[in-house]
Amino acid sequence: MIPLALRLTLRSGREAIIRLVLTAAAVALGVALLLAALAAISALSAQSLRIGWLNNTGTPNSAPTAPGADPEWWLTSYDQFGGQQGREINRVDVAALGPHSPVPPGIPRLPGPGQYYASPAMAALLRSVPAGQLADRYPGHQVGTIGPAALQSPGSLVIVVGDAPAQLARVPGAVRVTSIGTGPGDSPQAIVAVLGIVALALLFPVLVFISTATRLAAARREQRFAAMRLAGATPRQVSLIAAVEAAAAAIAGTAAGFGLFFLLRADLAKIPFTGQPFFPADLSLSALSIVVVALSVPAAAAVIAHIALQRVRINPLGVARRVRARRPGAWRALLVLAGIGELAYFTAAGHPASLNGQLLAYLGGGALTVVGLVIAGLWLTIAGSALLARHAMSPAALLAARRLAASPKVAFRSISGMILAVFVATVTVTIITSMTSSHALQTGGAAGKDILVTDLGSASQQNPTGPPSGVTVPPSLATRLRGVPGVSVVLVSHLDPFGTADDSLVDCGQLALLPALGTCAPGAAVAAVDFQPHGATAWAHHEVWPTVSMTASRLGSLPASGIAVGTDGSTAAIETARTLIEVAFPFQAAPATVFETQGEYLLSAWQQLADVLILASLPIAGCSLAVSVAAGLTDRQRPFSLLRLTGTPVGLLRRVVGLLRRVVALESAVPLLAVTVVSVGLGLLVAELFLNSQLGLNLLPPGPAYYGFVAGGLLLSLAIIAATFPLLARITGPEAARSE
Amino acid sequence: MTLLGLLEWKPSYGYDLKRDYDGYFGRDKPLQFGQVYATLARLARDGKVAAGESEPGGGPDRKRYFITEAGVAEVDIWLAEPAAPEPHLQPVLFTKVVLALLLRRPAESYLDAQRTAHLQRMRELTALKQEGGMLDTYLADYALFHLEADMRWIDMTAARLDALAEEVRK
Amino acid sequence: MTREIVIEARDLVTSFGATIALRGASVAVACGEILAVMGPSGSGKSTLLHCLAGILVPDSAEVYFADQRIDTLGENRRSAPRRDKFGFVFQFGQLVPELTAEENVALPLLLGGARRAEALRRAREWFPRLGLEGLERHLSGEMSGGEAQRVALARGLVAGPEVLFADEPTGSLDSLAGERVMNLLATAARDQGTTVVLVTHEPRVAAYADREIIVRDGRIGTTPATPAPTGAARRENQ
Repeated sequence: MIPLALRLTLRSGREAIIRLVLTAAAVALGVALLLAALAAISALSAQSLRIGWLNNTGTPNSAPTAPGADPEWWLTSYDQFGGQQGREINRVDVAALGPHSPVPPGIPRLPGPGQYYASPAMAALLRSVPAGQLADRYPGHQVGTIGPAALQSPGSLVIVVGDAPAQLARVPGAVRVTSIGTGPGDSPQAIVAVLGIVALALLFPVLVFISTATRLAAARREQRFAAMRLAGATPRQVSLIAAVEAAAAAIAGTAAGFGLFFLLRADLAKIPFTGQPFFPADLSLSALSIVVVALSVPAAAAVIAHIALQRVRINPLGVARRVRARRPGAWRALLVLAGIGELAYFTAAGHPASLNGQLLAYLGGGALTVVGLVIAGLWLTIAGSALLARHAMSPAALLAARRLAASPKVAFRSISGMILAVFVATVTVTIITSMTSSHALQTGGAAGKDILVTDLGSASQQNPTGPPSGVTVPPSLATRLRGVPGVSVVLVSHLDPFGTADDSLVDCGQLALLPALGTCAPGAAVAAVDFQPHGATAWAHHEVWPTVSMTASRLGSLPASGIAVGTDGSTAAIETARTLIEVAFPFQAAPATVFETQGEYLLSAWQQLADVLILASLPIAGCSLAVSVAAGLTDRQRPFSLLRLTGTPVGLLRRVVGLLRRVVALESAVPLLAVTVVSVGLGLLVAELFLNSQLGLNLLPPGPAYYGFVAGGLLLSLAIIAATFPLLARITGPEAARSE
Repeated sequence: MTLLGLLEWKPSYGYDLKRDYDGYFGRDKPLQFGQVYATLARLARDGKVAAGESEPGGGPDRKRYFITEAGVAEVDIWLAEPAAPEPHLQPVLFTKVVLALLLRRPAESYLDAQRTAHLQRMRELTALKQEGGMLDTYLADYALFHLEADMRWIDMTAARLDALAEEVRK
Repeated sequence: MTREIVIEARDLVTSFGATIALRGASVAVACGEILAVMGPSGSGKSTLLHCLAGILVPDSAEVYFADQRIDTLGENRRSAPRRDKFGFVFQFGQLVPELTAEENVALPLLLGGARRAEALRRAREWFPRLGLEGLERHLSGEMSGGEAQRVALARGLVAGPEVLFADEPTGSLDSLAGERVMNLLATAARDQGTTVVLVTHEPRVAAYADREIIVRDGRIGTTPATPAPTGAARRENQ
């Protein structure tokens, strides 16, 4: 039976072959996507495993001590380079205490004082920028490169610096370890979740594409099946034939998808989806996942085809007597309302405590809304068509409205991909825009990126045991800082001998030069400030610091607690200043702009992924729209060409073709516009609810790029529809009216 | 036979009889008076009709004619029996149907019987075609087509009986 | 002598939605006879044929084929006779457009599990019998209507069915082509002893049958619905 089914599938005419090819292409796309997502997830896990050594704290939970190992001093610290677009530098200082001290992965042996190992990207950076901006931070010279076994990504900036044991031992925070743990680093849970969501969201338009492709020339296929039923085929046999056809397309598509993935793997690795590119070797698939995908996709296709055919009931007389299907009712909107309701509930009641609970709540609500949108879209199409029918002014409008009412599923399916893309884009863009804006508020806007702040430690930190002795900022440093081109102000804050540990004192005259950090009360000489941002209200420009009764000259004798450097925001100025301060005060927390300390790498990763989502889903949705419109045309080839024939004499002919064009345009454009409006509205609503409940933020209107996207998407769809017009004239030529 | 049927419908004078006949059946070919009276005389001789009282005025046209029981039986038999299926049966079939409607006999079953007879004849002709030669086929086809035409008319008439009945009985 | 009844239906009642197609029709078909089912359009004659063939399940009835009830069977079991016991010739829409003529004819055999070479061989035997030489590899779109109907006839008869159901087989054909199809149908059926149930509204087509029944408004008409001995006697004389 199966060879017969295969032969029937392959011999079934041009339209069927096109259907097979399109379905296979769509499946290939989906499989490639799936594989990319799986590979990325496994890459993230591998990455996080590899960098576990950076968090080595030498606790008993880390790796067991190798016999005969000597201890060493170890300090991990974090630094920045590059300002606003900046990247993190992972710095590890080590000091061996014996010949057998444990060696971190990626390097042959521990560097001695005056030596360091740098990752390839770090080495390239060191070479490319002036020493004053970067290299001066690391005393000594490079003796080797850190291998990829220790790096998260090809672009990671990691440096392992050797120090004298005596020096390192004095640094608070340095630990004495005898082994190097390889436990997991930062948990990639959040980023994996986001990646998963994006992959799913991309899968939707692909699934729509697949379902559109499989329905190409469905009428002819049903006729063929009816003829076979008449010749004696049982329903089971017919299902088998359909399943074989689906499986054949799926197998071809899966193979092509695998090929596509492996072909593009190297290029895929270079794209920084999560902020960093991947090592191509990381983007690997386990044998298990390969087998599972390779087997499950064709099997799923066959099962789906089987189920779909069960609902159609092809009897030997064809589907001539079609029982009027139940009209999709308004109940379909319930699911959407349920999703919105769930999100609204969390807005009112506050978001769940745990991360997992939050994920469940928002993803659940979001998923409900999305699925509900798809289900309700059908009803919306019918409602729109009824509206159109009532107000139809021209025969074209009436024809379009009746056809929409007769087969709303077909019409809606063709645009559902676009709709989903618009909805998801609306939600993500709005959320990110609002977060970024408020984020910008938090980080003091532009000023947050220009001002370098160094915390020299509070009183207790500087001298844990005794009275505050403090550090002083050597005047040579201040002079050199001022001498850096681009540096405008150097402000030194001092420990407050009487106030709280978080307070520092500054000279009001100097503070006036940096108004972004707040102002003193008029007439004050010294004020107590707190430059560490707390929550959303920090760094308001109008912060007026309380006055402290002291003279400015007395300040000079107090130990320093921090330095603030105002710059023009250029990388050169910031990095040079940073280097100078780091060299002067080694082993302190690195100077950073407020933007960097609040830096949400996750946010930028989301933004990247959202861009990918938007850019990728649009063409896919466009493909399914094109296929579906073309399929709709070929299905109605005969009635349209008959209609056209009634349009003779010649003058009338052009009018009839124009009529047909208007019908096709209205049929696609009306549901498209209606559902776009609804999905934009819904997207904004969902974003608002999420922002309110999870982050306590308000919705901010998205930027022009978003409007551009929506308008672009609509225009693209309309263009696709218009592109079928020349096809319309050609395929409704008189030959098509001939009896088959 | 037609006149007999008309007499069953209602007893008439010879003049009325001719007028009725012409109205229903004689559009192209009106009956001659002579024919009418000759037929009536024959029927009376055979006992199918009876002449009534002679009215003042004299002449055969002043007599009212009635149908007898024998005459009624004869009409019955004639109506029920299908005509031999031949081409060019229009006058006969038509007459039968109209009379059946006038006399409130079951016209539909008469048509059915006729249809069955026609089909039987067509079957015979078709068998002839399959066994015979080319000439036989030509002749048989001619007859078949005409019989088919009759059958089409039978079907149409059967479908229109109610409307026809109204028209006829006015 | 009365022939054995091969297909029988009693009190068929079928409706489609609100429309009642058959109201208590009963009919019996004798083995080897050709029965014509006549009636105006919309009378339910096609529905009657579909019920007899097991394509449609009546709302209430008893339908017997070879003394077995078929109206109570499931979809799969009802399809089985269509491969080798029943044959079908409809007015149009029965050939698979993308298969060649010989593949179409061989289809019931292939669906029944016959090997491809054997099925095609048996199919090809029918082509010269029905005057279709040279058309074996043609698609249905490359043939005239009459040729396509003869291919359909070949498909209906290829498996040597016991009953051939024909629904307006000459409906879309002109007189000569229709004549040819009916001639071949009657001859082939008589040669193989196949029973034929023929639905038509054309008297000249019905003339090829041994007897006819009239369906009117879902009921069988006044002519006898069971085979008369004369019909059987006539057959025996041939």
